[in-house]
Amino acid sequence: MDQRAFLEHAIEQYGKATYNFAFRLTRNEADAADLTQEAFIRVYRAWQSFKPGTSFLSWIYRIVTNLHRDELRRRKGRFFQEEIPEQAVQPIEEYVDAQLSEPVSRALADLAPGQRTIVELADIDGCSYQEIGQIVGCSVGTVRSRLHRARGQLRKLVKEYMKLTS
Amino acid sequence: MNETHPSIERIVDYLYRELPPEDDAAVHAHLASCRSCDERRAEELSLTELLRAHANATERELPLRVVAGIRSAVEHPPQSLWERLNAALRPIVLVPVAAAVAVALYIGYDAWHRAAVPTAIDAGYYVNSHAVMAAAAPFGDAAPPMVLTSDNESR
Repeated sequence: MDQRAFLEHAIEQYGKATYNFAFRLTRNEADAADLTQEAFIRVYRAWQSFKPGTSFLSWIYRIVTNLHRDELRRRKGRFFQEEIPEQAVQPIEEYVDAQLSEPVSRALADLAPGQRTIVELADIDGCSYQEIGQIVGCSVGTVRSRLHRARGQLRKLVKEYMKLTS
Repeated sequence: MNETHPSIERIVDYLYRELPPEDDAAVHAHLASCRSCDERRAEELSLTELLRAHANATERELPLRVVAGIRSAVEHPPQSLWERLNAALRPIVLVPVAAAVAVALYIGYDAWHRAAVPTAIDAGYYVNSHAVMAAAAPFGDAAPPMVLTSDNESR
Protein backbone atom coordinates (compact mmCIF):
# COMPACT_ATOMS: atom_id res chain seq x y z
CA MET A 1 0.00 0.00 0.00
CA ASP A 2 1.41 3.37 -0.96
CA GLN A 3 1.19 6.61 0.99
CA ARG A 4 -1.87 7.95 -0.82
CA ALA A 5 -3.77 4.66 -0.61
CA PHE A 6 -2.96 4.50 3.11
CA LEU A 7 -4.46 7.96 3.57
CA GLU A 8 -7.60 7.18 1.59
CA HIS A 9 -8.13 3.98 3.53
CA ALA A 10 -7.64 5.80 6.83
CA ILE A 11 -10.16 8.51 5.89
CA GLU A 12 -12.71 5.96 4.79
CA GLN A 13 -12.33 3.77 7.86
CA TYR A 14 -11.66 6.28 10.61
CA GLY A 15 -12.62 9.70 9.27
CA LYS A 16 -16.04 9.82 10.88
CA ALA A 17 -14.84 8.49 14.25
CA THR A 18 -11.95 10.95 14.25
CA TYR A 19 -14.21 13.86 13.41
CA ASN A 20 -16.65 12.90 16.17
CA PHE A 21 -13.78 12.56 18.63
CA ALA A 22 -12.51 16.00 17.60
CA PHE A 23 -16.01 17.40 17.95
CA ARG A 24 -16.35 15.97 21.44
CA LEU A 25 -13.05 17.61 22.37
CA THR A 26 -13.83 21.00 20.87
CA ARG A 27 -17.67 21.00 20.80
CA ASN A 28 -17.33 23.19 17.79
CA GLU A 29 -17.75 22.14 14.15
CA ALA A 30 -15.17 24.50 12.67
CA ASP A 31 -12.48 23.52 15.16
CA ALA A 32 -13.35 19.84 14.84
CA ALA A 33 -13.03 20.10 11.06
CA ASP A 34 -9.64 21.85 11.36
CA LEU A 35 -8.35 19.31 13.87
CA THR A 36 -9.50 16.37 11.75
CA GLN A 37 -7.95 17.81 8.62
CA GLU A 38 -4.63 18.53 10.30
CA ALA A 39 -4.59 15.09 11.97
CA PHE A 40 -5.00 13.29 8.65
CA ILE A 41 -2.32 15.45 7.04
CA ARG A 42 0.03 14.38 9.87
CA VAL A 43 -1.00 10.78 9.30
CA TYR A 44 -0.14 11.17 5.61
CA ARG A 45 3.28 12.62 6.38
CA ALA A 46 4.12 10.10 9.10
CA TRP A 47 2.44 7.08 7.56
CA GLN A 48 5.59 4.97 7.70
CA SER A 49 5.81 5.40 11.46
CA PHE A 50 2.51 3.57 11.94
CA LYS A 51 3.16 0.02 13.11
CA PRO A 52 0.81 -2.53 11.56
CA GLY A 53 -0.98 -4.52 14.23
CA THR A 54 -1.35 -1.53 16.55
CA SER A 55 -4.53 0.50 16.91
CA PHE A 56 -4.81 3.13 14.21
CA LEU A 57 -7.63 4.81 16.14
CA SER A 58 -5.42 5.22 19.21
CA TRP A 59 -2.71 6.71 17.01
CA ILE A 60 -4.91 9.26 15.32
CA TYR A 61 -6.76 10.09 18.55
CA ARG A 62 -3.40 10.82 20.14
CA ILE A 63 -2.52 13.10 17.22
CA VAL A 64 -5.86 14.90 17.60
CA THR A 65 -5.39 15.23 21.38
CA ASN A 66 -1.90 16.68 20.94
CA LEU A 67 -3.04 19.09 18.24
CA HIS A 68 -5.89 20.20 20.45
CA ARG A 69 -3.54 20.82 23.37
CA ASP A 70 -1.18 22.80 21.15
CA GLU A 71 -4.10 24.86 19.90
CA LEU A 72 -5.31 25.56 23.43
CA ARG A 73 -1.83 26.61 24.44
CA ARG A 74 -1.56 28.87 21.41
CA ARG A 75 -4.93 30.47 22.00
CA LYS A 76 -4.83 30.94 25.73
CA GLY A 77 -1.20 30.56 26.66
CA ARG A 78 -2.14 28.03 29.31
CA PHE A 79 -1.94 24.27 29.29
CA PHE A 80 -5.14 22.26 29.26
CA GLN A 81 -7.47 25.19 29.57
CA GLU A 82 -10.59 24.13 27.83
CA GLU A 83 -13.64 26.16 28.66
CA ILE A 84 -16.30 25.84 26.01
CA PRO A 85 -18.17 28.95 25.05
CA GLU A 86 -21.90 28.56 25.54
CA GLN A 87 -22.76 29.43 21.96
CA ALA A 88 -20.47 26.66 20.69
CA VAL A 89 -22.64 23.94 22.25
CA GLN A 90 -24.87 22.29 19.69
CA PRO A 91 -28.55 23.19 19.79
CA ILE A 92 -30.74 20.71 21.58
CA GLU A 93 -32.94 20.13 18.54
CA GLU A 94 -30.08 18.23 16.96
CA TYR A 95 -30.56 15.42 19.41
CA VAL A 96 -32.61 12.55 18.15
CA ASP A 97 -33.78 11.72 21.62
CA ALA A 98 -33.71 14.99 23.49
CA GLN A 99 -35.22 13.61 26.66
CA LEU A 100 -32.47 11.03 26.89
CA SER A 101 -29.58 13.08 25.62
CA GLU A 102 -30.06 16.39 27.32
CA PRO A 103 -29.27 15.29 30.89
CA VAL A 104 -26.25 13.31 29.63
CA SER A 105 -25.09 16.22 27.52
CA ARG A 106 -25.36 18.65 30.42
CA ALA A 107 -23.72 16.23 32.82
CA LEU A 108 -20.81 15.68 30.40
CA ALA A 109 -20.43 19.42 29.94
CA ASP A 110 -20.12 19.81 33.72
CA LEU A 111 -17.19 17.41 33.93
CA ALA A 112 -13.63 18.67 33.82
CA PRO A 113 -12.35 18.40 30.21
CA GLY A 114 -9.76 15.76 31.07
CA GLN A 115 -12.32 13.62 32.87
CA ARG A 116 -14.87 13.98 30.09
CA THR A 117 -12.38 12.84 27.46
CA ILE A 118 -11.48 9.75 29.47
CA VAL A 119 -15.13 8.79 30.04
CA GLU A 120 -15.93 9.27 26.36
CA LEU A 121 -12.92 7.24 25.24
CA ALA A 122 -13.85 4.42 27.60
CA ASP A 123 -17.61 4.32 27.11
CA ILE A 124 -18.20 5.66 23.61
CA ASP A 125 -15.06 4.58 21.79
CA GLY A 126 -14.57 1.44 23.85
CA CYS A 127 -10.86 2.08 24.38
CA SER A 128 -8.94 0.07 26.96
CA TYR A 129 -7.27 1.79 29.90
CA GLN A 130 -3.93 1.31 28.19
CA GLU A 131 -5.14 2.88 24.94
CA ILE A 132 -6.64 5.81 26.83
CA GLY A 133 -3.33 6.28 28.64
CA GLN A 134 -1.52 6.40 25.28
CA ILE A 135 -4.02 8.84 23.82
CA VAL A 136 -4.13 11.33 26.68
CA GLY A 137 -0.54 10.76 27.79
CA CYS A 138 -0.87 9.37 31.29
CA SER A 139 -0.45 6.07 33.13
CA VAL A 140 -3.03 3.30 33.35
CA GLY A 141 -3.35 3.99 37.09
CA THR A 142 -4.16 7.65 36.40
CA VAL A 143 -6.70 6.64 33.77
CA ARG A 144 -8.38 4.29 36.21
CA SER A 145 -8.59 6.81 39.04
CA ARG A 146 -9.78 9.64 36.77
CA LEU A 147 -12.34 7.39 35.15
CA HIS A 148 -13.78 6.24 38.46
CA ARG A 149 -13.96 9.79 39.76
CA ALA A 150 -15.56 11.00 36.54
CA ARG A 151 -18.13 8.22 36.51
CA GLY A 152 -19.05 8.97 40.12
CA GLN A 153 -19.65 12.61 39.27
CA LEU A 154 -21.43 11.76 36.06
CA ARG A 155 -23.79 9.38 37.82
CA LYS A 156 -24.81 12.10 40.28
CA LEU A 157 -25.15 14.78 37.62
CA VAL A 158 -27.21 12.63 35.26
CA LYS A 159 -29.60 11.79 38.09
CA GLU A 160 -29.96 15.47 38.99
CA TYR A 161 -30.58 16.58 35.41
CA MET A 162 -32.99 13.72 34.79
CA LYS A 163 -35.04 14.83 37.78
CA LEU A 164 -35.05 18.39 36.44
CA THR A 165 -36.06 17.22 32.96
CA SER A 166 -38.88 15.03 34.23
CA MET B 1 -11.76 -4.01 48.55
CA ASN B 2 -14.45 -5.39 50.79
CA GLU B 3 -13.80 -9.11 51.23
CA THR B 4 -17.39 -10.04 50.60
CA HIS B 5 -18.57 -7.33 48.16
CA PRO B 6 -16.44 -5.87 45.39
CA SER B 7 -15.99 -2.10 45.42
CA ILE B 8 -17.76 0.03 42.82
CA GLU B 9 -14.37 0.62 41.18
CA ARG B 10 -13.87 -3.10 40.88
CA ILE B 11 -17.31 -3.53 39.37
CA VAL B 12 -16.52 -0.78 36.85
CA ASP B 13 -13.18 -2.42 36.01
CA TYR B 14 -15.09 -5.66 35.54
CA LEU B 15 -17.51 -3.96 33.13
CA TYR B 16 -14.59 -2.54 31.16
CA ARG B 17 -12.94 -5.98 31.17
CA GLU B 18 -9.86 -4.57 32.81
CA LEU B 19 -9.51 -7.09 35.61
CA PRO B 20 -6.96 -9.90 35.49
CA PRO B 21 -8.63 -13.23 34.57
CA GLU B 22 -8.74 -14.64 38.11
CA ASP B 23 -10.22 -11.40 39.55
CA ASP B 24 -12.67 -11.21 36.69
CA ALA B 25 -13.85 -14.73 37.42
CA ALA B 26 -14.18 -13.95 41.13
CA VAL B 27 -16.27 -10.81 40.53
CA HIS B 28 -18.35 -12.63 37.95
CA ALA B 29 -19.11 -15.40 40.44
CA HIS B 30 -19.94 -12.87 43.15
CA LEU B 31 -22.32 -10.90 40.93
CA ALA B 32 -24.13 -14.09 40.03
CA SER B 33 -24.88 -14.73 43.68
CA CYS B 34 -25.25 -11.18 45.11
CA ARG B 35 -28.34 -9.25 44.12
CA SER B 36 -27.26 -5.88 45.55
CA CYS B 37 -23.89 -6.00 43.77
CA ASP B 38 -25.56 -7.06 40.55
CA GLU B 39 -27.88 -4.05 40.84
CA ARG B 40 -24.86 -1.78 41.18
CA ARG B 41 -23.36 -3.43 38.12
CA ALA B 42 -26.63 -2.85 36.23
CA GLU B 43 -26.64 0.79 37.32
CA GLU B 44 -23.08 1.27 36.05
CA LEU B 45 -23.94 -0.50 32.83
CA SER B 46 -26.97 1.76 32.31
CA LEU B 47 -24.69 4.80 32.63
CA THR B 48 -22.50 3.40 29.87
CA GLU B 49 -25.57 2.70 27.75
CA LEU B 50 -26.80 6.26 28.29
CA LEU B 51 -23.46 7.62 27.14
CA ARG B 52 -23.49 5.42 24.05
CA ALA B 53 -27.07 6.37 23.21
CA HIS B 54 -26.14 10.03 23.59
CA ALA B 55 -23.11 9.55 21.34
CA ASN B 56 -25.22 7.78 18.70
CA ALA B 57 -27.85 10.50 18.84
CA THR B 58 -25.31 13.25 18.39
CA GLU B 59 -23.02 11.47 15.93
CA ARG B 60 -21.99 13.54 12.94
CA GLU B 61 -20.95 12.67 9.43
CA LEU B 62 -17.49 13.71 8.33
CA PRO B 63 -18.05 16.87 6.25
CA LEU B 64 -16.99 16.47 2.61
CA ARG B 65 -15.12 19.75 2.76
CA VAL B 66 -12.80 18.21 5.37
CA VAL B 67 -11.98 15.32 3.04
CA ALA B 68 -11.48 17.78 0.17
CA GLY B 69 -9.23 19.89 2.39
CA ILE B 70 -7.08 16.89 3.32
CA ARG B 71 -6.71 15.82 -0.32
CA SER B 72 -5.89 19.33 -1.43
CA ALA B 73 -3.29 19.75 1.31
CA VAL B 74 -1.46 16.54 0.41
CA GLU B 75 -1.62 17.26 -3.31
CA HIS B 76 -0.39 20.84 -2.96
CA PRO B 77 1.77 20.93 0.16
CA PRO B 78 2.34 24.45 1.48
CA GLN B 79 5.76 26.02 0.92
CA SER B 80 8.24 26.02 3.76
CA LEU B 81 8.99 29.27 5.61
CA TRP B 82 12.26 29.68 3.69
CA GLU B 83 10.53 29.12 0.37
CA ARG B 84 7.82 31.65 1.20
CA LEU B 85 10.40 34.17 2.42
CA ASN B 86 12.51 33.60 -0.64
CA ALA B 87 9.55 34.10 -2.93
CA ALA B 88 8.48 37.25 -1.12
CA LEU B 89 11.96 38.76 -1.09
CA ARG B 90 12.93 37.77 -4.61
CA PRO B 91 11.80 40.98 -6.39
CA ILE B 92 13.16 43.15 -3.57
CA VAL B 93 16.55 41.47 -3.69
CA LEU B 94 16.85 40.60 -7.35
CA VAL B 95 16.17 44.05 -8.82
CA PRO B 96 18.95 45.88 -6.90
CA VAL B 97 21.31 42.93 -7.37
CA ALA B 98 20.65 42.90 -11.09
CA ALA B 99 21.22 46.65 -11.25
CA ALA B 100 24.48 46.37 -9.28
CA VAL B 101 25.68 43.54 -11.52
CA ALA B 102 24.86 45.59 -14.63
CA VAL B 103 26.77 48.62 -13.32
CA ALA B 104 29.72 46.45 -12.27
CA LEU B 105 29.80 44.80 -15.67
CA TYR B 106 29.68 48.13 -17.41
CA ILE B 107 32.48 49.61 -15.29
CA GLY B 108 34.55 46.44 -15.49
CA TYR B 109 34.19 46.21 -19.22
CA ASP B 110 35.11 49.87 -19.63
CA ALA B 111 38.19 49.51 -17.44
CA TRP B 112 39.23 46.34 -19.21
CA HIS B 113 38.68 47.95 -22.53
CA ARG B 114 40.87 50.92 -21.63
CA ALA B 115 43.64 48.69 -20.31
CA ALA B 116 43.52 46.29 -23.21
CA VAL B 117 43.87 48.95 -25.93
CA PRO B 118 46.92 51.11 -25.15
CA THR B 119 46.64 54.67 -26.14
CA ALA B 120 48.47 55.27 -29.32
CA ILE B 121 51.05 57.99 -28.90
CA ASP B 122 52.34 59.80 -31.83
CA ALA B 123 56.13 59.75 -31.49
CA GLY B 124 56.56 63.05 -33.28
CA TYR B 125 54.07 64.76 -30.98
CA TYR B 126 55.78 63.26 -27.92
CA VAL B 127 59.22 64.40 -28.91
CA ASN B 128 58.00 67.85 -29.83
CA SER B 129 55.96 68.27 -26.69
CA HIS B 130 58.73 66.93 -24.51
CA ALA B 131 61.27 69.18 -26.14
CA VAL B 132 59.02 72.18 -25.56
CA MET B 133 58.52 71.26 -21.92
CA ALA B 134 62.19 70.58 -21.40
CA ALA B 135 63.08 73.89 -22.93
CA ALA B 136 60.55 75.70 -20.76
CA ALA B 137 61.72 74.05 -17.53
CA PRO B 138 65.11 72.45 -18.00
CA PHE B 139 65.25 71.22 -14.42
CA GLY B 140 61.66 70.09 -14.14
CA ASP B 141 60.48 66.51 -13.90
CA ALA B 142 59.76 66.36 -17.55
CA ALA B 143 63.30 67.40 -18.49
CA PRO B 144 65.68 64.73 -19.70
CA PRO B 145 68.46 63.68 -17.33
CA MET B 146 71.27 66.11 -17.29
CA VAL B 147 74.25 64.89 -19.21
CA LEU B 148 77.35 66.95 -19.32
CA THR B 149 78.71 67.42 -22.75
CA SER B 150 82.23 67.34 -21.39
CA ASP B 151 81.60 63.86 -20.00
CA ASN B 152 80.59 62.61 -23.40
CA GLU B 153 83.50 64.25 -24.92
CA SER B 154 85.97 62.78 -22.41
CA ARG B 155 84.70 59.27 -23.28
